[in-house]
Formats: sequence, structure tokens, C-alpha cells
Amino acid sequence: MTKLTYFPGCSAHGTSEEFDSTLKLVMKSLDVEMEELPDWNCCGATSAHVMTENFALALPLRNLVLAERLPNKTMGIACASCYSRMKSTKVEMDSHPELAKKINSTIVEEGEYHGDVDVKSMLQFFYEDIGTDAIAEKVTYPLKGLKIACYYGCLLTRPKNVTQFDSPEYPMSMDRIMEALGATPTAFDFKTECCGASFSISDTEIVLSLSGTILEMAKESGAHAIVVACPLCQSNLDMRQPDIEKRAGKKYEIPILYITQLMALAFGYPMKDLMPAKHIIPIEPALAHIGEEIETPEEKKKPKKAVTAESEVE
Amino acid sequence: MIALGQQIENKFLTAVNRKSGSNILECYQCGKCVSTCPVSDFMDFPPREIMQMVKLGMKEETYMANSMWFCLTCAACSGRCPREIDIPRVMEAIRHLAIEENVNSDNPKVKQIRIFHEIFLDMIKHYGRNYELRMMAEFNIRTRNLFKDMHLAPKALLKGKIPLGHEKVKSAKAIQRMFRMAEKLEKTK
Ligand code: SF4
Ligand code: SF4
Repeated sequence: MTKLTYFPGCSAHGTSEEFDSTLKLVMKSLDVEMEELPDWNCCGATSAHVMTENFALALPLRNLVLAERLPNKTMGIACASCYSRMKSTKVEMDSHPELAKKINSTIVEEGEYHGDVDVKSMLQFFYEDIGTDAIAEKVTYPLKGLKIACYYGCLLTRPKNVTQFDSPEYPMSMDRIMEALGATPTAFDFKTECCGASFSISDTEIVLSLSGTILEMAKESGAHAIVVACPLCQSNLDMRQPDIEKRAGKKYEIPILYITQLMALAFGYPMKDLMPAKHIIPIEPALAHIGEEIETPEEKKKPKKAVTAESEVE
Repeated sequence: MIALGQQIENKFLTAVNRKSGSNILECYQCGKCVSTCPVSDFMDFPPREIMQMVKLGMKEETYMANSMWFCLTCAACSGRCPREIDIPRVMEAIRHLAIEENVNSDNPKVKQIRIFHEIFLDMIKHYGRNYELRMMAEFNIRTRNLFKDMHLAPKALLKGKIPLGHEKVKSAKAIQRMFRMAEKLEKTK
């Protein structure tokens, strides 16, 4: 049994409950024991590092230090933004010991930072620690016929020196996982474009414009749905979709699913476990394509072999 | 008068370089960052121009720009910069310098973005975690835009998207202590 420290992030108990609950189901199927980090705190998201220097490093550092108290060697992070804050702090601390000492002095009561816990996004954990073969083995309900645009967003693969995972330009790890589930990933050029992130509240216009292009391109790729691995991307693309449609003067009606929802479905969990009622854009019509034959001209439209995860490794 | 060949010290450039860990003089103005940046259309000076302004020591003009407030830290630009300049960190450095020197842009959008971040930070300082509904409500109150996103609220609440309860880190006190210590560090450097 693999063991993993789990960092849910602030949205897991709110906007992205369906991510959190399907993640738990999937981990159970994959024989992974998850232990939620006790007394974790907010990573600071965008705001801490926009406004402050030291506090922005201290917040993630406290979580990293708390994680070292547990016996597990890896901490898996659900939200891409939390992942980015935590991993970049780890990289910063590990490469600048004097800075690490200085920031550590703000949390003396929690203890000393050693840097021996690895930080991974859940996508990275699935791809590297579990592997597509082991994922494929658990599939009892193949998602054949479902065409999926894999949307990674900015932070799961960028900046490269921080994430050290997949390609920053055209990642393929999520596409490979979708294939393992039996689904067909589409050739989707906007997979690493930014959705507008935290501007969701402070400057909605930016989100409507950026997320709008992503929806447009996903639709054009022929996808029935978009799959994501981040709560912020999900809420920008799903909750704001009606506003985006109004602004663009057309309908997209493309549901935004978490990677773990599709994994749970393929592993044989019933539809209700995906919490479909949580979605603004209904997910049922897209999932009704499962079981359909994919027409031959589409067959040729397999994702292009640009820079794949495999070929990137030097 | 400046004599020919005399070097003028560009303190602003030195400060931004030190804070960002990049050498902005390396920028050769290719503009790749501009064509990559998803929000360059919204910036009054796109990243390439900001680099040049820092090189020229145009401190006041740079501080007044909205660019560093619009930067999403998406790192699309830095991944493609042929001179390997960490552009989002340069944006961050300029933002932090402007905050330290207490320069406030009167651009309404920038003000709005700052308010958002201030509320978020307050939330963390108090609870150790973020509380989404309260975040939205306070933002609307402070920007005097009470009905913003109200059309989303009923649906979101109905779908249990936004929890009504509070979540607090057990040791919220630890976070407050941490913040005071971090603030002290900021002053002593
Ligand atoms: S991509 Fe790099 S070198 Fe080119 S203009 Fe932008 S910062 Fe300068
Ligand atoms: S990191 Fe900032 S400047 Fe660079 S592309 Fe993203 S938003 Fe633009």
C-alpha cells in the first residue's frame, strides 16, 4: 500500500467538494492510503506573494514543516495554485539555505525545515507514482467514445524549474491517463493557456475573455467535455460559462470535469458519486457519449506528437 | 552635466535585479514575452516595455503602470524568453518595491485588484484559511459594488458550491504570530 500525505487546500471543502470526494474514491481503488495534513493552513494563493515577500514564503513553509512530522515521503496537493506555492517555496528553500533559516525563524514552534518531503500535484502523483498501466488495470467501465480536451492550465507544468514535470508547452500526462481510461483525448492547443485565475473576482472581464478562448478552442477540437485537475480552472470554466456564452453570443455547453471524477466513473463508481448536481453545466449529456463508436475521420485526429512527457526527458 | 562615457548609476535597475534575481540588462527586446502573455492587451505597458523602462531607470512611470498588477504569474513568458529572464518575478519585484515605497496607482482596476488581495490576506491572518463567500461579500462591500456576481450566488449556494460555515486552523494564533514575525523580518532587511 502506497502512503501519501494529502493537502486538500481551501476550496476542497467548498467549491470543489466533488474533486475531494472522488479523489478519495480513486485513491481507495488504487490502494493508496491518504492522510490529511493535520492543521494545515492556506498556502497564501496569489494574494500573499502579490503583497508580501516573507509571509508568502512562511505560509507554505509551515505546511512543509508540518508534513515532515508524518512518516510519508510525499505530499500530494489537489489544487494547482496550492501546489505551485508549495513547490516553489520548497525549491526556493532547498536552494537557499540561509533564506530557509530566516523564514523558518517565523515558525519556530512548528519546528525546523529539513526538506525531506517531496511535493507533487495529484496529476503528477497519478502519472509518476501510480502509472498509466496500473490505472488501466482498475478500469471496469471504459470511457470509450468520450472525446476529452485535457486542460492543464499554467501551474501544473510551469515554470519548468519549479515543477520538473511534463512539458510546459504541450504536456501529455493527463492525455495518457485519459487514454488509460479508454477515452479519446483531442488535439487541443490551448491546454496550457491561463484561465484568468484569481481575477475571477477582482477583474471578471479578464476571466471571461481568457476562459472564453479556452472553451472555444476545446469545442473546436471536437471535445464532449474538458477535464481539469485544478479547482480554480474548474470554477472559472464552469461557473463563468453562462456569462462567457452571453458575452460571446453563442452556446458552448461544455461540461468541466475533474480528472478524478472520470477516473472514479471508469473504476466503476456510480454516476451519483460524481456529484453531478454540483456542476453548473450539466455533465450527463457529455457522458452519454460513452459507448459510442468514434467515427473514422476523427480517429486520425489523434493528439499531435509535439513535445510529449516521454520525449522531454533528457 | 554628464560627461561623455560617464556611467550614471541606475538604482532602480539595481533594486529590481536584486529582488528578482534576474539581470534585466540581458533583455534584448525581442518581444516574445508580449506575444505569449495572455493579458498583455490589458496592460498599459506590456512586459517587454516594462523591461526597457527599468533599464532606463524610469522608476515613477514603472510604478504607475498597471502591468505588474495584471500579471497572473502564469510563467508562459519566462518559459519562452530566450534570455531566461524570470519575468513574473520581475513583475513581482516591481510590485513589492512600489508597495514598500508606498506608491499607489490611482487606476481603478489596480485599486480593485489590491483590495481583493488585502481582503484575502486579512482572511488568512484571521482564520488561517480562506472563506470564499465572505471573501466575495467583503470585496463587493469594499468596492461598493454590492450586486456584483449576485446572479451567480443563488445557483452557487443551491449547488453547495459555497459553504456557509467557517473553517479555521486550530492554531490560527500560530498564523498571526507568523505574520508578525514575517513583518518584522521585512523591516529589518
Ligand atoms: S522575451 Fe525576454 S528578451 Fe525578449 S523582450 Fe521579453 S524579456 Fe526581453
Ligand atoms: S507571467 Fe505575467 S507577464 Fe508573463 S505571460 Fe503570464 S501574465 Fe504575462
